[in-house]
Amino acid sequence: MDMLVLKVTAVVYLLATASYILYLVRPERSSPRVPSAVLLAGFVVHSLALALHFFQVGYPAVTQLREALSFYSWLMVGVYLLVQIKYRLTVLGSFIAPLAFLIAFSAFTFGTGGEELPPALKTYWLPLHVTLAFLGNAVFALAFGVSLMYLLQEYQLKNKKSSALHSRFPSLETLDRLNYIFLVWGFPLMTLGIITGSLWARINWGNYWSWEPREISSALTWLLYGALLQARIARGWRGKKAALLTIVGFVVVLGYFLLGDSIFPSRHGGRFE
Amino acid sequence: MYRQIIIVGLNHRTAPVEVRERVAFDGSLLGDSLRRLHALSSIKEGVILSTCNRVEVVAAAPEEGVALRDVKAFLAEQESVRGRPLEEHLYIYSGDGAVRHLFRVAASLDSMVVGEPQILGQLKGYYSAAQEAGTIGTVLHRLFHRSFFVAKRVRTETGIASRAVSISSVAVDLAKRIFDRLEDKTVLLIGAGKTGGLVARHLQRNGVRSLMVTNRTFERALELAEQFRGSPIRFEDYPHYLSLADLVVGCTGSPEMLLGPETVGAVLRERKQRAMFFIDLGDRRNFDPAINQIDNVYLYNIDDLKNVAVENLQGRSREIHKAEEIVDEEVINFFHWLESLEQVPTIVALRGRLEQIRRREMEKSLSTNLKGLSEKERQALEEMTSAMINKILHAPITRLKGLSEDQEEALYIDALKKLFGLDEK
Repeated sequence: MDMLVLKVTAVVYLLATASYILYLVRPERSSPRVPSAVLLAGFVVHSLALALHFFQVGYPAVTQLREALSFYSWLMVGVYLLVQIKYRLTVLGSFIAPLAFLIAFSAFTFGTGGEELPPALKTYWLPLHVTLAFLGNAVFALAFGVSLMYLLQEYQLKNKKSSALHSRFPSLETLDRLNYIFLVWGFPLMTLGIITGSLWARINWGNYWSWEPREISSALTWLLYGALLQARIARGWRGKKAALLTIVGFVVVLGYFLLGDSIFPSRHGGRFE
Repeated sequence: MYRQIIIVGLNHRTAPVEVRERVAFDGSLLGDSLRRLHALSSIKEGVILSTCNRVEVVAAAPEEGVALRDVKAFLAEQESVRGRPLEEHLYIYSGDGAVRHLFRVAASLDSMVVGEPQILGQLKGYYSAAQEAGTIGTVLHRLFHRSFFVAKRVRTETGIASRAVSISSVAVDLAKRIFDRLEDKTVLLIGAGKTGGLVARHLQRNGVRSLMVTNRTFERALELAEQFRGSPIRFEDYPHYLSLADLVVGCTGSPEMLLGPETVGAVLRERKQRAMFFIDLGDRRNFDPAINQIDNVYLYNIDDLKNVAVENLQGRSREIHKAEEIVDEEVINFFHWLESLEQVPTIVALRGRLEQIRRREMEKSLSTNLKGLSEKERQALEEMTSAMINKILHAPITRLKGLSEDQEEALYIDALKKLFGLDEK
């Protein structure tokens, strides 16, 4: 049942993607409310899928890849919708909606890896750790979106091209400021995610750190974003370089999320032996 | 029923400004002028438009020929100075031509700068003035409201108003793609060239508050500073102020380049990489093209700006085509409505509607609680209900036929259609 609802969610996200494209291509014909409403509908259906799964398993399960992907894309859309309320960034949605579709789609196509959590580990440490880490990465997904827009806008300006599409994008200054805001929110969340994770590991397995591939990749992105944030604050770094680094960081996180845990089985991939 | 719509007038294309000025209606006397127009026996409804680019009389009349003659004479009274006869400058529209013309005016397709938004507000103003003067009735009321609607459709469904086609508006557009807001930005204007001044003015109109001006001769810089309410800077000092400037507009005739990549690179470091927009309007390059390669620096020269303007202009002609299609569509819609204002079809439709109700109710009753009636009783019931309908309709139809061809008739017909929902199928 929850799988079916998850599939419906993916379809609605695909519809949202289509309405965002329509909004970008024919802005004079469409209202910005339509794509936001479709995405919100997808979010509601998605919440239902998660709730159904919760009642089925009786525990906020996030260890299977499918569960993790579904939960992550749900958080990402949720964070975007909150940002949309404050900043009115409908164009950003056209980056988030397809991403949400892709992740939800992969959730039910190749998301079967991972075992159920051994009963002994069913404490609230895991949901806490995962929620914080995922929230951080959800905010980085938004940072990724604005950085992509920044590069496109910048490329057009430098090369003296103009198109109706790019005049819908916010100004470079706005995009750069948003990159900073998302970084400032995402970084502490990611830090807390790593801290709770290692505390939990200490309690269960006796060590804070076990050099799992996921831990290494997280540490690398954490360092990358940390360095970027430091450079922005202390040295006034901004613009294209900041956008590029943000994109690299996010691609590492997402790529590893989708592929890494299946290639290198570990606790993060749902192996608890 | 009068339903001839005519427009007689002149605009920026048909008449030079001297003629337009002489024909223009004085705002304070507009009410009087409207009443004089309305007093003409050939005119039933009238509106006068008088902006700096156009003077037009829109009227509804029973007979086109007489009305046109009278309106021309009415306009000629305005022009008291001798010269070429006014007739040469006038255009005349009637019927669907007149409706199309008014829709095009409202949608800013007939403006000097196509897409400029002021004309709609002006049109609304003159419509209200006519309403106050009591010179407007059902036909023009509807016509003007439709024209406002057309303007709105054109605005929302086409990109006609959203494209910059002059160098200064392109520069402002670009600045808005780089900067979040212009209110907190500083402009440095180098040189006294005319285009530079235009761009600076346009930037100020779009929010820029802080402006620095420099020129080789300091006296000229002082003059410019006064003209733009900016701060004058000595030419030998301006490099020190560069780091304060977010936008740098160069418009000097200098044969050698003023700024190269080394200087600008250093300025950027001083500004902690905050973006800079250089606009080079010099005949020969004022800024080294290489500075466009520096991160967070954007350089546009006059040719780049012209190219964008030309692209936008091409895009705009596509949008104009779309807008004209909307106008055509709405002209047809308007005439559907106008034709429906005829007496006879309205009476037929009204009878039809009541007859339809009678039949439906008869059928309903005869198949349920009056099922047992004999053929004779049924016949009597038919006659009785038909007679009722005829009695009900008698008074309104006689009154309608007795109405003269004036404003009242259109008003009553329109009201009847609305009350009985005769337009709905």
